[in-house]
Amino acid sequence: MDKASFESTHEFFDLWLKTYEATYGRVIEIPPMGPSREKTEKVIRGFSTSVSLYAKWMESLINFQNVFIEAMRRMRENMASRIEGEPSARSYEDFYEVWIETYSETFKEFLKSGHFASDMGTFMSQLMDFQKNNREVLEENYLKPSGLPTRTEIDEINKEVYLLKKTVRELKSRMKELSGGR
Amino acid sequence: MKAIDAIENYRKFIKAIGILLEPGDISVGTTPSEVVYTEDDMKLIHYIPVVEKPNPVPVLILYAFVNRYYILDLQPDKSVVKKLLDEGFDIYIIDWGYPSGADRYLTLDDYVNGYINNAVNKIRELSGMDKITLFGVCQGGTLSTMYASLYPEKVKNLITLVTPINFDTDKGLLHVWAKNLDVDKVVDNYGIVPGDFLNAGFLLTDPFRLMIDKYVGLFSRIECEPDDKECRLRNEETVKTFLRMEKWIFDSPDQAGEAFRQFIKDCYQKNLLIKNKLKLDGKEINLKNITMPLLNVMAETDHLVPNDASLPLNDAVSSEDKETMVFPTGHIGIFVGSKSQNVVVPSIAQWLKPRSYPEEPKPVPEESPKAYTEEPRPAIEEQEAHPEEPKSYPKRSRSYPEKRKSRKTRGKMVET
Repeated sequence: MDKASFESTHEFFDLWLKTYEATYGRVIEIPPMGPSREKTEKVIRGFSTSVSLYAKWMESLINFQNVFIEAMRRMRENMASRIEGEPSARSYEDFYEVWIETYSETFKEFLKSGHFASDMGTFMSQLMDFQKNNREVLEENYLKPSGLPTRTEIDEINKEVYLLKKTVRELKSRMKELSGGR
Repeated sequence: MKAIDAIENYRKFIKAIGILLEPGDISVGTTPSEVVYTEDDMKLIHYIPVVEKPNPVPVLILYAFVNRYYILDLQPDKSVVKKLLDEGFDIYIIDWGYPSGADRYLTLDDYVNGYINNAVNKIRELSGMDKITLFGVCQGGTLSTMYASLYPEKVKNLITLVTPINFDTDKGLLHVWAKNLDVDKVVDNYGIVPGDFLNAGFLLTDPFRLMIDKYVGLFSRIECEPDDKECRLRNEETVKTFLRMEKWIFDSPDQAGEAFRQFIKDCYQKNLLIKNKLKLDGKEINLKNITMPLLNVMAETDHLVPNDASLPLNDAVSSEDKETMVFPTGHIGIFVGSKSQNVVVPSIAQWLKPRSYPEEPKPVPEESPKAYTEEPRPAIEEQEAHPEEPKSYPKRSRSYPEKRKSRKTRGKMVET
C-alpha cells in the first residue's frame, strides 16, 4: 500500500520522539535517590511506558490513516470506472454499496497482513505494561496509604479460595468413590 | 445521487426510529428448561422434552466461554435447541455464567476434568445412561474433544460444530493475531480477561461490515406504508431478531485468566491439541483415544474458525464411524440462519438418531461406493425448503468400518 500520503505526519512524530528522547527522556533516566526512591522509580517507569505506548499508538494511527487513504483512492477508481461505463451509482444505495465494499475489503486486506498482526501484538504488549504500571503506582501511592485493599491482595485471597475449593472437590470426589458412587 | 433519494432515505430512517422505539419483548432462551445442577458459576440446564419417549442417549451441548449459550436458543423460530427437542432428543446445555475475579485461577483442567465431568456424571445419573452424546460448539467443541479423549467410556457420540482443533492456519484472522499476542502480559494484567477486550478483536475482523453495514442494513430493511399491518408486523419481527442478536453479541462474559492463557498458548500458539501434546492436570490428551462415532460440522464461509482448523480432527481420531458435513453458511449463520433450522439441524439429527440408543448403533443404510464419486446427497429438508440452493449441500464424507476410508472435501475425493 502506498504510504507516501502520511509521510509528513510520520516524520513530524519521529522528530518529536527523537527530541523527547534527547531531552526530557534523558532527564527521567537519572536514577532516583532518597527516601522515596522506590515510589519515584515506579512513577518514572510509568513515564517511560506511557511514551512507548504513545509512540506505538502513533505508529498504528499512521498505518490506519494510510489504509484510509488507500481505501479512498480505490473508491475514487471504482466510482470513476462505474461512471465511465454505466451510470448506475445514481442513488444513495448504489453509492453506499460501493463505499462499504471498497472500505471493507481494503481494511480486511490490511488486517490480514503479518505487519498488522505483529504491530497489534506490540501495541497490546505496551498497553498491558502501561496499565500494569499504573495499577502498581495507584496501589503503592494511594490504596495502601489509605488502608484500602489492593488488587494484588484480592488476587492472593482469590488464589487461596481457589486452591481450597479445589481441595474440597478432590476430597468430595474421593469420598464418593470410596462410598461406591459413580 | 438525487435529492429525492436523500429525502426517501431520511423518511426510512424516521420510520425505523419509530419501530425501534417500540421493540416489545426481546427475551432470549425461552424454550422451557430447568436447572438440574450448579457448581460455582456453572449451571447445567435441562430442556423439557417435547416428545413422549425421547431418544434414550441424552445430548449435552457445550458452548464456548466467549458469548453466551443462548445463541442456540435465540428465539423459537431460530433455536437449535428447540429443533433438536422436536426431533426427539433429550437436551442438556452448560451455562458457564459470568466468571468474576474469584475465577481468575480456573484452568482448562478445572473446566474439563471438573465442571464438564461433573455435569456429564449428573446427566448419567439423571438419565440412567452410561454414555451421553457430546455436542460441542465452537470452543465448546474443542473442550468436548478434550473431554472425549480423556473419558471415552462416557461418550457415546461426539459432534463438533465449527470447532477449531488445528490452530496452525493463517486463514482466520484470530489465528493470525493470536500468534502475536503476549498472553502472559494480558492475563497478568487483567486477571480476568474482559469480554469487551475479546469483542473488540471480533469486531476488528471486519470493522466496516460489523460496525456500520449491519446497522445500515437494519434501517434499509424497514419500509412499510403506515396502513400495511402485515408489513409492520414483519418489521417488528426483523427488529426484535436484530436486537436479540445485538444482545447476544455484546453479552460477553469475562474469561478466567489461567484457562485463557492455556488456550491461547497451547492451542493457538503451540497447536498442541492436534499433536496430542496438550496436557491437562499433567495428563496428555491423545485424540487417538476418541473411538466413538464422530460428526464434524463446518460452515463453508466461517471467518472465525476456518475449515482448515476443523477438518484435521477426522484424521486425528481413531473413530471408524466418522462423518464431515460442510454447509454454505458462516460461523453465526450455522446457529441462527434459515439454513440452520431447515438444513443444518435436521442433518445432524438424521445422523444422530440411529446412534442415540445404548446398544450397538443401528446399522446405517448401505450406500453404494458410487455415492462417493457423485455429488453428496442433500438433506430432504433442504430440498424441500431451499429448492433454489445447490443440491450439493451438506457436503459430507463418511467412513464406516466396512468401507475404504475416505475423506471428501468440497466435492473432491481424497484418499486417506
